[in-house]
Amino acid sequence: MYKYIIRRILIFIPMLFALTIIVFGLAQLAPGDALTGVSLSDPNIDPEVYEMQREAYGLNDPIPVQYFRWISSVAQGDLGNSLVFNGRSVSELIESRLANTIYLGLFSLAITIIVAIPIGIYSARRPYSLLDYGATGFGFLGLAIPNFFFGLIAIYVLSIKLGWFPAQGTLTTPGVTGLAAILDRIHHMILPGITLGLAGTATYMRYMRSEVLDVLGSDYIRTARAKGLSESTILYKHTLRNALIPIITLMGFEIGVLLSGAVITEQVFQYPGLGTLFLSSVTNRDYPVVMAIAMILGILILVGNLLADIFYSIIDPRIRYD
Amino acid sequence: MINRKHGIALLVLLFLLSMVMVACNNETAEPEEETEDPVEQEDPEEESEEESEAPDEGPQMGGTLTGAMDTAPAGVFNPIFYQEAYEANILDFTHEGLVSQNESLEFEANLAKEWTINDDNTEITLTLEEGVTWHDGEPFTADDVVYTYKAIASPGYIEAGGVRTEYANKLAGYEAFNSGETDEFEGVVAEDDHTVTFKFTESNVTILKDVSFPIIPEHVFGEVAIEDIPSHPGTLDAGEVIGTGPFKFSDMLEREQYVLTKHADYWKGEPYLDQIVWRIVDQSVMLGLLENGEIDFISDPNGVPAADFDTVAALDHIEIIEQTDFGYQLMGFKVNHRTDADVDSGTINQDNWVPNEDMSEQLIRQAMAYAIDRQALVDNLLYGHGSVINAPIAQQFWAYDENAVTAYSYDPDKANELLDEAGYVDTNDDGYRETPAGEEWVVNLNYPTGNQLREASAPILAQFLEAVGIKIDLRQPKEMSAYVEDLTNDNTDWDLYLIGWSLASGDPDPSGLWKSGAAYNFSRWNNPDSDQLIEEAMQAPEAFEQSYREEKYSEWQSVFSEDLPALLLYAQNTIYGFNERLNGVAPMPYSFINDPHLWWVSE
Repeated sequence: MYKYIIRRILIFIPMLFALTIIVFGLAQLAPGDALTGVSLSDPNIDPEVYEMQREAYGLNDPIPVQYFRWISSVAQGDLGNSLVFNGRSVSELIESRLANTIYLGLFSLAITIIVAIPIGIYSARRPYSLLDYGATGFGFLGLAIPNFFFGLIAIYVLSIKLGWFPAQGTLTTPGVTGLAAILDRIHHMILPGITLGLAGTATYMRYMRSEVLDVLGSDYIRTARAKGLSESTILYKHTLRNALIPIITLMGFEIGVLLSGAVITEQVFQYPGLGTLFLSSVTNRDYPVVMAIAMILGILILVGNLLADIFYSIIDPRIRYD
Repeated sequence: MINRKHGIALLVLLFLLSMVMVACNNETAEPEEETEDPVEQEDPEEESEEESEAPDEGPQMGGTLTGAMDTAPAGVFNPIFYQEAYEANILDFTHEGLVSQNESLEFEANLAKEWTINDDNTEITLTLEEGVTWHDGEPFTADDVVYTYKAIASPGYIEAGGVRTEYANKLAGYEAFNSGETDEFEGVVAEDDHTVTFKFTESNVTILKDVSFPIIPEHVFGEVAIEDIPSHPGTLDAGEVIGTGPFKFSDMLEREQYVLTKHADYWKGEPYLDQIVWRIVDQSVMLGLLENGEIDFISDPNGVPAADFDTVAALDHIEIIEQTDFGYQLMGFKVNHRTDADVDSGTINQDNWVPNEDMSEQLIRQAMAYAIDRQALVDNLLYGHGSVINAPIAQQFWAYDENAVTAYSYDPDKANELLDEAGYVDTNDDGYRETPAGEEWVVNLNYPTGNQLREASAPILAQFLEAVGIKIDLRQPKEMSAYVEDLTNDNTDWDLYLIGWSLASGDPDPSGLWKSGAAYNFSRWNNPDSDQLIEEAMQAPEAFEQSYREEKYSEWQSVFSEDLPALLLYAQNTIYGFNERLNGVAPMPYSFINDPHLWWVSE
């Protein structure tokens, strides 16, 4: 098992390395750089100034030279400085946003699981009941409605018209601490959390329903029933463990999806996380930040998959790694 | 089974129906409010009472005001290093210059109460206000002024990310100081604590503009190396940013809220408001929050979208101020192209330029101008909230001369006539004109994404031009950074391009955009008359007289308008919306934020 994990982690390294080359190469292939956009903002500024800055930041160097400079500083643990937020180091920028995104991701994952799994199980146990149809309908809707649209409707109805939830941001006023701050944060996370988790909830519900149905129809459940085991033992001990396996794979992927899928949700709710930072960095051609976030997303997706594999073996004793 | 399927179908239908109903509810929500009006009409009485009371009571102390902007500032709260309008929204409250512009764009006293300029405009001596204190209580002195300009002039300033060298590079001794030859900067000298002299190498026509830069505190940054200033807490952190303005930047929830608290010792008098809070709000929900009172004002840089003007105007508790923006959108003609060699080496030398076939014909450019109904663009695209302009100088300036220019009002007959005269006629009856040589004539039109109105204008422009028989190849729009690179490296086949400029309010000198050697002269327009007039308008000593400059700019505008390197499409209006509880607002032509210490709220 440990050998397996170590081997998997070792495979990460070349994969990440390949990822950096692809992202860096693609980013550099796009015409323009971090300074072309701002250079038009004020015609009184001599373009010569930007040319000097390009030279100073090394943007005029050949791409391999720039890549090598970047990768060697990353290897020393320095993610470099943002080209747009001048004076800010990339790690500082990411640090200030990462927590927000992780809170939101976990919150929305929690909502997803709390809502989707019980409903999925219920739907499977009482197929073609009213609630099952309701859940199915909701599932299709959840998958069909784009995130940003749902978010806007939620803001309009629940926030602007009814005033139940704050529409934007993470806190009402800066400088609050303690329990009040935590509650305020959660209050702010409800709308973006639901928005972000909508598609996931729908997917998980459908998966859970079909998996449980599948398992309930299998031979060993019939055997268990024949043995006279109680319905709850059958459900929780025999059915769920098997039905959860694909869900866990899904969750492994979900970590990356939650972080990258948060881009649009964060934008709509002006929730300052990694997503909004990523979006603004891509539009501003702020490569050091783009690269760093791409790396983080890459690492998270790889780690998510690894965790899913490890959980497999815990849940399903038939799966062994060596 | 069949029943089940029906059941599912029914349920799906039900859900769709409920969706529609939700949507309907949203729509009915607004009329409902209108029907609530009778109830609200009780309020107007109260309001009118309040209104009649309010003037009696006069400004009230206290209160918090919330403004909204759609994009968070990058976070560089230092006048010498910031680059975006979003930071300006905060720095305009916290920092001040020695002089500032009034509503007719003349410079008047601010931190400097009076000044004398010597005969050849090479020296200006300013007397500073006494008793001005920084937000941290330190006194403001001439040393701060010297420090600010020294910082901009210092070696490494550009490399550290600064772009405001235009304020320092005309000062005496700039070269020597900037190159590191000497530690002494002779350009700005503190005569005593409250007197400072600026010395310029040459006669300076825009001397007051050049001394208007916001001042930063020496006691905060004096010992900090220039390259460390962008990452210094005094640049980045709320509570550490120190200015002399009426509000201090006291608290921040990064990318969400920026809190300004009053500077009680402000030298022009204690501000009425306790706090002004900037909230970062997505464009799509901004109006909703303005309507329900969560935010009080929407101002620069984007204001209220023209398309939403009527919605906002219909809100009883919202007041609107509309004024012309400093800037314009244009359709440029690539009169000349640069050679491959020049583009590679980054040279801009008009002697090497290659005339762009067809576009280098003045008649063609004029014909295209007549073919386009710009008023229709303003009416339909901007919903009337803009104006057609004919000279590339902001209308607010004394230098703008409407009478010096050809109006190019929509006249397709005239356009056809001019095209015929130039020899571009349809010889093969395909509905499009051919070149005088009888070859197929296709004019390409390139434009960037990013500004939705501009994007929407491109196909309309193409239609207008096709209507007079000019075949247009409307290219795929490009993202701005990519577009600018192509626009700059103009060794291509480009003919027409769209771009917008937002002009500075300091001085109308158009040399940065339209002089033949200027990098931003993307038309590569080479007109010796124009160059000469632009230079003469800045020539000492005649140019010390504004009337002389006015005359030269008037002549220049007529040259521009006749030769037409670009057709100016429209100047947009900025629409400010604010809650009526906010009083004392008096925007300047260039900014909503003016004398915010006089703003007050009636509760």
